[in-house]
Amino acid sequence: MVRPVDKHDLILLDGAMGTMLQAAGLGMGELPESWNLTHPEEVTAIQRRYVEAGSDILYANTFGANRLKVAKSGYTPAELIAGGVRCAREAAGDRPVKVALDAGPIGQLLEPLGTMAFDEAYDIYKEMAVAGEAAGADLIIFETMSDLYEVKAAVLAAKENTSLPVWVTMTFEATGRTFVGVTVSSMALTLEGLEVDAMGFNCSLGPKELMPMVEELARWTDKPLILKPNAGLPDPATGAYTITPEEFGASLAAAAALGVTVFGGCCGTTPDFIRAAGQHLASAAKNRPERTRRGVCSAARTVPFGGVRVIGERINPTGKRRFQQALRENDIGYILERAVEQQDAGADILDVNVGLPGINEAEMMVKVVKAIQSVTDLPLQIDSSDPAAVEAGLRAVNGKAIVNSVNGRREVLDAVLPLCKKYGAAVVGLCLDENGIPETWEARAAIARRILEAAVSYGIPREDVLIDCLTLTVSAQQSQATETLKAVRYVTEELGLHTVLGVSNISFGLPARENITVSFLTQAMHAGLDLPIVNPNQKAVMDAVASFKVLSGQDVDSAGYIERFAGADAAPPSPAPSTDGGMTVGTAIAKGLREETAALTAKALETMSELDAVNTLLIPALDAVGDRYEKQEIFLPQLINAANAACEGFEVIKRSIAARGASSVSRGKIIIATVHGDIHDIGKNIVKVVLENYGYTVVDLGRDVPKEAVVEAAIREDAKLVGLSALMTTTVASMAETIAALRQSGHDCRIMVGGAVLTPEYAAEIGADYYAKDAKQSADIAKLVFG
Amino acid sequence: MDGRLTGMNRNEILLYLAYKGGEIPPEVNEAIDRCEALLLRTARPRVVWRRFPLDGDGAPVGTDFRPRGEDVKALLSGCEAVIFFAATLGAEAESLIRRTQVTNMADAVILDACGSAAIENVCDNLCADLAEAEAPLYLTDRFSPGYGDLPFSQQPDFCRLLDVGRRIGVTLTPGGLMLPQKTVTALAGVSPTPAAKRGRGCADCAMFSSCDYRKDGETCGQA
Repeated sequence: MVRPVDKHDLILLDGAMGTMLQAAGLGMGELPESWNLTHPEEVTAIQRRYVEAGSDILYANTFGANRLKVAKSGYTPAELIAGGVRCAREAAGDRPVKVALDAGPIGQLLEPLGTMAFDEAYDIYKEMAVAGEAAGADLIIFETMSDLYEVKAAVLAAKENTSLPVWVTMTFEATGRTFVGVTVSSMALTLEGLEVDAMGFNCSLGPKELMPMVEELARWTDKPLILKPNAGLPDPATGAYTITPEEFGASLAAAAALGVTVFGGCCGTTPDFIRAAGQHLASAAKNRPERTRRGVCSAARTVPFGGVRVIGERINPTGKRRFQQALRENDIGYILERAVEQQDAGADILDVNVGLPGINEAEMMVKVVKAIQSVTDLPLQIDSSDPAAVEAGLRAVNGKAIVNSVNGRREVLDAVLPLCKKYGAAVVGLCLDENGIPETWEARAAIARRILEAAVSYGIPREDVLIDCLTLTVSAQQSQATETLKAVRYVTEELGLHTVLGVSNISFGLPARENITVSFLTQAMHAGLDLPIVNPNQKAVMDAVASFKVLSGQDVDSAGYIERFAGADAAPPSPAPSTDGGMTVGTAIAKGLREETAALTAKALETMSELDAVNTLLIPALDAVGDRYEKQEIFLPQLINAANAACEGFEVIKRSIAARGASSVSRGKIIIATVHGDIHDIGKNIVKVVLENYGYTVVDLGRDVPKEAVVEAAIREDAKLVGLSALMTTTVASMAETIAALRQSGHDCRIMVGGAVLTPEYAAEIGADYYAKDAKQSADIAKLVFG
Repeated sequence: MDGRLTGMNRNEILLYLAYKGGEIPPEVNEAIDRCEALLLRTARPRVVWRRFPLDGDGAPVGTDFRPRGEDVKALLSGCEAVIFFAATLGAEAESLIRRTQVTNMADAVILDACGSAAIENVCDNLCADLAEAEAPLYLTDRFSPGYGDLPFSQQPDFCRLLDVGRRIGVTLTPGGLMLPQKTVTALAGVSPTPAAKRGRGCADCAMFSSCDYRKDGETCGQA
């Protein structure tokens, strides 16, 4: 086993492989890994030179041996990996040199930016990891990674299917982020949580340019650190690298003083670089700076612990009819709006609760977590009492999450804490147990201590245990408010833990609730509360947080406060949306005025039914706008704005219906998809917005959708209309196949197609019923089909 | 030579928004201003390029990659070298456009149009920088897979040659489409004489098969 547990034990890796293979004659477009089987002597010869230069660990020539990259080679990943490990072993000879399975990025972008699913990435890495272990590799190294989600899939695949140590190095730009925006701290927190055995940087830049990132990494983790940089920066014209082995070695030695213990070279390095590194490292000053920072993160944003951080509570169906309706009707868009709105209001972390009787909570959790991650970069708090939903959520999270929650009950601790440990999540512990919520602060503190002990016994760092001392309603149990505050103070000062508190509950049942809520929040923050769970859309609540940050010294020079209130004295309060002055729903929609449309629709509902409002106000207004668009009197963005305004009207209608507990009005169900092989989906997404705003229920299957998935959904949803889009000439064939499959299934439906390369003639030729030139026409077609 | 995004051509943005003349409403102009500023702030353009001398037969020396077709041959005839490049607006812009499709589709449409204009600007800037560096030699027009008879199917070869995954974070889908979507690969010749600008006609345009103007029997005016 290769586990550099002794922090002063330096390990030397190897240098570049690809460029050496090219120098040995590997052709452009030839799969480097195929040489493990066709030219094993050459591969071994290169690696032997690294052994002679002093490498302790050889990377097997398996970087791209994944099933996608080797598909056309005629070999399987297992064959190439076995060959690669064999070559490296051969090169090691009888020296105590270890061999690593080397795995790079799959080469396809994962969801949400790309189309590869997390589970598919997991399968691809699982195949590699299992083959690596079977071939006798001593450890697994994932390198040159830019996407933290892909790394998570890889690490889970390796840890769940092999017993080998797992190391990870990622590639950063000089900005301190990877190509997809991952920060150094996010990498550190996430990978430490997943219990990789060592982490660091490879490729990217030269050693000098990477030094600030090495320092940053050491601040955020206790894990052993790896540095495997390029030989400086490449000459763009020739691709040649610039620094000498001497300079390279000297720079690496400097990194030993920053805590790095594992060293190697990437692009442009040769055995001479490794030899020079070994010489310099022999006399290098070694030091591991103390880790100082902790927190939670998404891939692109870290929220450090210490100081008040607001957890937004609005993604939760409890007591919210409209939210429950959205969950039941799979209306993810509604939930996403709650996410974006809370981020805009200043939330630092989002609580995600999708528990509702009658829905599969684990499935919904995955869907909602992935969707939220596509629109915000806030870290998430997985909120569920169902361990299956907690695990599903933790698996889907990109970053380090919080689990809400455990309590003092042993069976809950034993069910949930192992999940927090495995996925590296922080955990909220509620101060209650099988006997309920204790009435004294001392008894709650005792439960907090018990939870902390249990968490630590499962290997969870105490800094990741967040205690919720519980807010009780002051109108019902008046004495409890001060008990809660005392418990918060004790947990903060005596246990040294961070505290969470759902604040709003305090004022339930009282008039002018905001006064009580804000006052209690302020007192709780003073007692030490640093992770309040609140509704960030309440301005007074966020104002109280901003004020507290000034008074407690967190908001240095009051900069945040001043920014928040800049111009507040000068600006008059914004007027309430006008519902008179002659404006009608029609004009409001035509002008794209959302608030006015909502207000006017609400007013209309005083005198007419929901259905009448839809049929006599909203739809005619949309039709009028559509006509102007067809006559090219307005632009596409204006059409969309009008549709969005109408959507606010529909939202009022939905809420009104939800309040009565009835199911919503829909003019018909339509399935839309961008066909397999195509990723250009903005056109399809425009169609979705317009159709939804015309009152249809749209089931959006996304992009790059296999024909089988379209058929399956059409049948499952019993959809009478299916819309397909394709942008490329190369993917229209895929559209034709999807249409054929729909026809063959015998499902009775109409098919409309659209996309830049299509024409009415072509649409007819491939068997579509309708050609939609644009989003407006798709709505016309829907009207034809559904009447 | 870094990727530089310095601005977006307003006419080009309007073109992508299918503008066909007439008055532009002030709210549309304002929305374009807003989206342009947002994209300028968000995008992190990245470029990668490699220069290869051409041998007597006009083939690049130092790589076995051979762009196909008569058009490239004509473009490079008389040239001393060829420069292959790739330019991308980056995942930041891609992410912005995708996110906005959820939060505000009207803005997303405009951002998408701005993105198309922006990547052209990045390519223009790179070519200007390359031309300056090549002086007293001259740079020809740039030519991308999908233009003329340079097959779109060679896009993956451009990407491999330039190591776009490692160097600028661009990946290919199984169907050979590039992600981030606002990414361009191209080549340009280095010539001892100023080459006649080809004036990108419809046949040389990557939009050839999908252009709304051409479908209606019109042109965009750039031909």
